[in-house]
Formats: sequence, structure tokens, C-alpha cells
Amino acid sequence: MTDMNRRDLWTGAAALGLAGLLPLRAHATGSLTAAIYPGTWEEAYRGVLAPALKKSADIDIAFDALFAVDQVAKVRAARGVPPFDCFVLDPGPAAAAMQAGLFEPIDASKLANASKVPAGLITSHAVTCNAQVVGIAYNPKKFATPPKSWADLFKSPYVERLGLTGFQTTFGTVSIIEMAKAFDGSIENMEPIFAELKKAVAKVAAVAAPAAMPGLFQQGQIDVMYTNTNTVAILKGRGVDIEFVKPDTGAITFQTTLHIVKGADNVANAYKYMDTAISAEVQGALQKQPYNMIPINKDVTLVDTLDIKSIDELTKMVTHDWTKINPQRAAWIERFNKEVTK
Amino acid sequence: MAGAAVASGGMGERVDWRLAAPLGLTYLAFFAAPFAILLGISFYADSEQTRLGLDSWTKFYGDAFYLKVIFDTLKLGVFAVAATTLLAYPLALLFRGVGPRAQRVLIFIILMPLLTSVVIRTFAWIVILAREGVVNQTLIRLGLTVAPLNLLQTELGLVIALTQIEMPLMLLPLLTIMNQTDQNLVDASRALGASKWRTFFRVILPLTLPGWIAGATLVFASATTAFISQSVIGGARLVYLPALIWQQSMVVYNWPFAAVASLTLLFTVLAGITALGWLGRFAKTN
Repeated sequence: MTDMNRRDLWTGAAALGLAGLLPLRAHATGSLTAAIYPGTWEEAYRGVLAPALKKSADIDIAFDALFAVDQVAKVRAARGVPPFDCFVLDPGPAAAAMQAGLFEPIDASKLANASKVPAGLITSHAVTCNAQVVGIAYNPKKFATPPKSWADLFKSPYVERLGLTGFQTTFGTVSIIEMAKAFDGSIENMEPIFAELKKAVAKVAAVAAPAAMPGLFQQGQIDVMYTNTNTVAILKGRGVDIEFVKPDTGAITFQTTLHIVKGADNVANAYKYMDTAISAEVQGALQKQPYNMIPINKDVTLVDTLDIKSIDELTKMVTHDWTKINPQRAAWIERFNKEVTK
Repeated sequence: MAGAAVASGGMGERVDWRLAAPLGLTYLAFFAAPFAILLGISFYADSEQTRLGLDSWTKFYGDAFYLKVIFDTLKLGVFAVAATTLLAYPLALLFRGVGPRAQRVLIFIILMPLLTSVVIRTFAWIVILAREGVVNQTLIRLGLTVAPLNLLQTELGLVIALTQIEMPLMLLPLLTIMNQTDQNLVDASRALGASKWRTFFRVILPLTLPGWIAGATLVFASATTAFISQSVIGGARLVYLPALIWQQSMVVYNWPFAAVASLTLLFTVLAGITALGWLGRFAKTN
């Protein structure tokens, strides 16, 4: 055994500390902390966007893996000391964060790729980086004919194999709103769908947390669910029997947006990060397996695994006004809890 | 207490107090202060935290749905304690009877679940309990059932999973105390004509009760707050306090209501632990 005294330990520790500092001083001209959704998004942004940004602007990104609601909660809880520089959000949490004043304004002239993005996708406080398309997913081996409409989900044989999820997520909320419309309801009147949910809840295969849905589908616990094309493409890539269906009233679309956190330390780097995220190079790479993200850059040619043919198709899909949804969401969540619990 | 130590001139006790100070101050800064903030937030009447009032408290305790959530959370803790107890005692008795080498193997098997993350253990249970999972496939092949049973998203499935996940917490204190009990007392009981069952209930059980209380406290506190297992295996039809707190704080942003639910969970678990502590004292005096 070697003898080691306290001085040796200190020398060793100091050397290690210095070694840790050296590469930082030698390389990076800049750094950035960006929030990112855990899972595919984190893999995609780490694997594609981070190297691209390092190459083009020599910026190192640290990712903080958080769901949209968690990002907003974290920034609110930090009360003016931003835990990261950039958000990535769905429309619901984005509208809530906007209302709470958590964003820096966006100057589109600082984004070189701004002209490559369809009009309306870069706003005063948001840069759209990706579109999501929501509809019905089913197992083609379990049903002779696919479900065609939102109302079909509440009919046999689909209802017995349906996985229900509530208003916690954006895709869940907009799907249930469309179901309400199928039963003559609307955003202002959700009563019809709550009546249907109450009837259906005893028959459905599962009522579960949104994050559990893909796993339940893969395990054969459920064979029908409402979800986005991204999830369908990922499950298909893993060999799961799953197909996406656009309901007869149209698929739903919403945007995923990047924002600069109010009071962020690295605003200049945040612009470079967002600009790289919407560049044709990154968007083209992110649409492929295993990421399957729908691009919004007009220069990108869409691959055939995405379930949509062109970016223009998005403009014909169903969209929702989240400033009308958010004030009612707490009540809907409470109502859903009460209707579905045993 | 420190004052009393100084007055009695006990040097040793004064040192004890100082050694405990870093941890004590840490608790004060990182537990007592946030707790005070939590308590403060619960007295806001609206989710924007602009107006003071008892609205959040009256809404929570005036609604039968939320009272049922408290009851269900408590019930889950009791079921988990009961199930782990029924399975842990036979194993602990076996542990006591075998040699040191077999004991080491048993300890390793008992500790193994603790070496994997709770997330992995929970997702493993999805694979086991699902419609096309191991349990259902076995039952169907054996001809015991025609259609697959619904085990996921049920309280039964959740209790089964929690029993496995929490088992080490019950077993470890129980094994320690089981090893300390004097074999002579058991032998004396048998020699005086008591049956095996009578020996168990009149000698072994009372002697090992402190270990069981420690285990039951850990299992109860852990099962009632097991957010991941509850939401993944239990599903959305079974609402427990942890999931409700997450929903209210992270999705709805109604922090006062979430604070009320958090305090309720805290005091519910504390009440359970206190009850178990009383049971221990009651057992000792008898």
C-alpha cells in the first residue's frame, strides 16, 4: 500500500481541479443553458443541434431536461434568477408563461433563417422550431377497419381498447376538445364530452398518465390512443404495430416554440441557438428516424415516414386558441379527476 | 436542552450539541424555512396569490372528492404495510433459522431490489402485469382464465408492485431485531408446552415488535408518497395525494391549493407514523 499524506492529497486535488479548468479556458467562446423535453427531444438536440452550434458559433450548450410545465414552474419558482436561458414549450404552457411575463422579446432580424420559416411562426416572443400533428393511433393487427372519427373512439370495438388521458398535456387537451365538438360541444361547452367520458370510463382499457401511454401501447394494454405523429413514428421504428389516422374532421396541429427566458444571461448565444434550430441543416436531420420531428423550414424536403406530405398541409389542420383554453383548464382537470376516479 | 447540559457541567453533552449543529442548522434552513413558506402560501385565497383567505383550505376539506383522496392514500399505506408484514415475517423467521452463509445469500437477495432504480422497478411491473404480460400469459396457458385479467391500473396491481418495491424497508429492521432475540426464550416457551403458533404470538412477535414498527413506519411513509409507482401503475383512475400535488403545482399553477394538499400529505403521513409509535409504547407497557 502506498503512503499518502495530506499534502499529496491537496496537490493531487489541485492538479485535478486545474485540469478540469483548462479545456474550458482553451476552447469555448460561449455557453448557453437550454431547457429541453426529456426523451427524444433531448437525444435529438444533443445529437444534432449541439454539434451544429459548436461548429458554427463555438458555443457549448448545457441541457436541462424538463417537461414544458416543469420549465415554467421552475422559472416561476426561481423568481427573477433564470435557471436557464431558453425555453422549449407547447402552446398551453407558452401562453401561461407569456401571461406571467417570463419571456424576453424576440428580434427576428437577428435570425438569419427567419425568412425560411412560413409567416406567423416567428412572433414577438416566440420562435417556432417544430410542428406537432395530433390524431388517432391504432393497432392495425387488432381491428379490421381503422377508427375514422373522434366519435368512433367511444364506440365498440374501439372504446374497449382505448387508452384515455386527461388535460395535463397539450395533445390531450386539444384531442378532448375535438371529441367534444364531435358530440356537439365546444371550448365553451364541454358538458357533452364529460357525459361521454363518464359513460366510457368503465369500458376503456386504461386511464393513465400521458407519459405512460406509449409504454401501454407497446405492451398491448391499449390498442387505440390519441397522440402525435412523432410518438407513432418512434413506436413504429421500434417494431410496434401502429398506424396514424387523421380523423374525418381533420388532424390537429400546434407548434413547439423556443423562447428566451426573461433576464437570461446569454441572450446573444440564445439567438444563435434558435437560429441553428430552425436552419435547414438541423431541421432536415431532425425529421429522420429516430427523431421524426416535423420541420418548419421551407427549404427542407419532407421524408415519407412523417405521416404528412408538405409543410403547407399544416395550414389546413385544426388549431386552437390557448388564451381561451388556459382560463378553463384548471376546472377541466378537476372535473376529469372527479369523473374518472373509481 | 443545551442550557441544562451546561448547568450540569457535562462536557460530553456540550460537545454532542455542537457536533449536531451543522445538521440542525441545515434542517432549519432547508426544511423549516421552506415549510414556513409552504404554510404561508396555503393561506392565499386565489391561484395568483393576490388575496389572503382560507378558500384553499375550505375548498379542499369541503369537497368529498378530496377527502376520498386522503382516505385512499392512507388506505394504500395500510395495505402496503399489511402485505409486506405478511410476507416479511415468514422470511425473517427463515433467516433466523439458517446458517451464516445462507443468511448472507438471503441478505443479498433482499437488498437486490434496492440496487435498481425505483423507475426501472416500476416499469418492470408494467411488463409483468400488462394484458400481454408474464402473469396473464401464464394464467391463459394454464387455462385458469380465458380473457386476460386487468391488473394494471388497479389498486390490487399497485399494492402487489409496492409490496415488492418496499419489501427491503420492512425486512431490514425486522431481520436485525430477529437476530438479536434470545433463542433460549423461544426454546423455553416450546419446552413449557406452548405450540409453535402460541410461541410466535406470545414470544417472537412481542420481542420483534420494535423492528416491525420501524419497518412499518418506513413502508407506510414510502408507499403513501410513492409518486412514480402510483401514477405509472395505478393510472389516472386512482388519484392519490402526491399526483394531486404535482397536478395542482405544475399543470394548473394553483400553488395555494397544492400547498394545502402538500401539508395534508405531510400530516397524514405523520399521523400514521405517530399511530405506529403509540402502538409501540402500548405494546411495551403491556
